[in-house]
Amino acid sequence: MARTTPTHTPALKYILACLVSMALLFSDVNYQTLSPLRGSVQAVGIYSQLFFATTVSRFLEFTSAYENQRTLTRLNNQLRDELQEIDSKLFLQKQSQLITKDMIDLQDRLQILGDQRDGKVLKIASFGLQDYLCCSRHILHLQNPLQFAILMHQPVAVDKTFIGQTSKTHLNLIEVTLFSDSSHILPVKIDGLHCNARGAGKPRLVRCLASEEFKMSDIQEGSLVLTSGLGGVFPKDVIIGKVLSIYEISNNELRIDIALDGNPLDHNYFGILSGS
Amino acid sequence: MKFTSHLFIFVTIFSGFWLDSLIAEFNIRTYIAALESLPYLVETSLGFLILCYWIYAIPEKIQSSAAFCYGLLVDLCFGSAIGFNMLFFSGISYVIHVYVFRFRIFSYLQLIIFFAGSSMFYVACKYLIFSPENYSYLLLLCSFLINGLLWLPIYFCMRSLRRSFL
Repeated sequence: MARTTPTHTPALKYILACLVSMALLFSDVNYQTLSPLRGSVQAVGIYSQLFFATTVSRFLEFTSAYENQRTLTRLNNQLRDELQEIDSKLFLQKQSQLITKDMIDLQDRLQILGDQRDGKVLKIASFGLQDYLCCSRHILHLQNPLQFAILMHQPVAVDKTFIGQTSKTHLNLIEVTLFSDSSHILPVKIDGLHCNARGAGKPRLVRCLASEEFKMSDIQEGSLVLTSGLGGVFPKDVIIGKVLSIYEISNNELRIDIALDGNPLDHNYFGILSGS
Repeated sequence: MKFTSHLFIFVTIFSGFWLDSLIAEFNIRTYIAALESLPYLVETSLGFLILCYWIYAIPEKIQSSAAFCYGLLVDLCFGSAIGFNMLFFSGISYVIHVYVFRFRIFSYLQLIIFFAGSSMFYVACKYLIFSPENYSYLLLLCSFLINGLLWLPIYFCMRSLRRSFL
């Protein structure tokens, strides 16, 4: 009987394949001849499954750990930010308290220094630091927002000593000439002997040119230097510094270098005695 | 045919057998848990039907050697006796090759009946060889119905895969 469709399927190969299959099946079912091979393949499959399961499990653990780490890192950053914010607030609060305390202390000292005179505490506006460190002009400016009536040539104090005197006013700014300014002359007293200390043009340094009488005195390095009050600006007997060194310029003349106690770089608030 | 095409076809057949094993595992658990008093009736042959589809769809590319190799690999992978699937794959391959163009003019219903019958024969032989004590005609009837229902989804699914990847 002719086939209805024109196909060519050689049966030999199929018969051969079926015979081989049957032989394998028979030997395997009856004699278990191929069970080692089958067992090996099954073992490989089981090991593959275990390996896959372990890998997936480790991957999941890793992702979980990574997620936890990310969460912890985020939390850590958040806490650090909060801590920094708290630190900043505390710092500002502390600084505010310190400033208030400094101002109160300075006010008290001004009352001691100024005897019966009024003291005004003013904040620094600017300081010519470059000139102060290199050159002869040593001035600073103080703010006077409340426009106190500050006259020229009033003593300016910090801590327990004076550092200079007012020289000019510009709008709401008060110019202060420091003792170390080379144009400033301050009458001082060293162990009872008087001299005029001129600014050396160097930070915290003034110099006296002393006459012969100083040679006979027992002035030495470290002797206290006080205001003499002779200029009419500063009250007398206020310690302003110590003798730093003594040089003999000529037979009858000495140069005494005086280190000033008051350091304008250490303070933001300065007191001005007025009403003299 | 390229090796990758053979690999793709084998992966689909492998997936069918894997699904068969999953369904069987689920059925056995359900059977043990709830239906112990009833006879075990559900036996699918997805892998076998998928192989039938590929031979039916591209007979010129799947010859006896390919069917033989697929059978060997399935036997090795799924732990049945070596030779069983080789024998049935070769046998069904021959039958489909002989009647492939006649099948082309068959209706879906005729195809369903033929391939469901083939899979029933496959299941019957499996039970006769490996588990004769569980052999039952009711099981074969159920298998016939289930595999008949499965044929059309497999047919359309595999056809879309063939058109997409081969």
